[in-house]
Amino acid sequence: MSSRDGWSATCAEHDRRAVRGGGVTGSRIYRRLGELTVALFLLIVFTPLPNLLATSLAIPPQLAPAEAIVVLGGGGVWPDGTLSNLSLRRALHGILLQQKGLAPLLVFSGFERDRHPTELEARADFARELGVPSQATLTVNTTTTRDEARRIQALLRPRGIRKILLVTDSQHMARAQLLFERAGFEVFAAPADDFSNISEHPEGRLELTRRVLEEILARLYYRLAGYL
Amino acid sequence: MDELFLLILLGLTSVGAYLIGKRRGLSWSEFHRAVGSMLESVGFSLVFFLINLGLGVSLILAIRALTPWFVSLYLADNAVLLILSFLQGLTFQWWRATSAREEGGQGIPR
Repeated sequence: MSSRDGWSATCAEHDRRAVRGGGVTGSRIYRRLGELTVALFLLIVFTPLPNLLATSLAIPPQLAPAEAIVVLGGGGVWPDGTLSNLSLRRALHGILLQQKGLAPLLVFSGFERDRHPTELEARADFARELGVPSQATLTVNTTTTRDEARRIQALLRPRGIRKILLVTDSQHMARAQLLFERAGFEVFAAPADDFSNISEHPEGRLELTRRVLEEILARLYYRLAGYL
Repeated sequence: MDELFLLILLGLTSVGAYLIGKRRGLSWSEFHRAVGSMLESVGFSLVFFLINLGLGVSLILAIRALTPWFVSLYLADNAVLLILSFLQGLTFQWWRATSAREEGGQGIPR
């Protein structure tokens, strides 16, 4: 008997016994789900599928002179008050764009928790330390991407600002760009990633898949909620 | 390179486990059944994970809607949830298996 026949016979025996207990359908469904999960896991870990997915969803840079650079919140601060890698990466990219003269004003968004310094304070301090004048920096306390678009609209539109360079990670950019465009801005994407969209290692591809799925679910939620 | 290393490592330990199993007289048909049970455990774990995730997201949205507090949806995006869901799935599968053994044939054989 071949190995495949052995497997089929075992499954059939399993099902026969399970039928007596009324559990065959359940067992079969869970086994199929298990097979699907294991196959998907192997596909993610051992093939470049996550890289293809990530690069197809990512928005490339569209750098152009603007009136403000908007750096979206993300990652917050660590318990010792240090900016998280994601937040630091975005803040630094925004500061470099400002120092290159692409826009005079730098807007930091972030969520104010009880912890001090907050992400906003830490980002503003970081910008000052790197030579950005205080008057060229604005901060805005926000919660979600949708909230960021609304609050930054309320902050910048009265100042007559319409063209912005938007700094967030390349996966998040499509959703954020659409929300800011709906808020009346002309948006130039300035992605800053703390994780490459191309990973050459199994563990990296697993992490990349998590990030891609997270963004796909977020887009789905925003669409269902009517935000996009 | 990483992939090859992992495959060689897993291949070596799998062959080692097979040889130990053979020496102890474990049967090939039981191995097939064990793989089936493992797949069912993974299936249960996936279901637990999806339920945990769905419930987590629903709870966060309910807190946002019913209270003045803001809770981030990223709270539900946690690798620990995946691992704990796997333990839930494994436990549930073993519960079925041991119950079936006691009742003589329901659910999982043996």
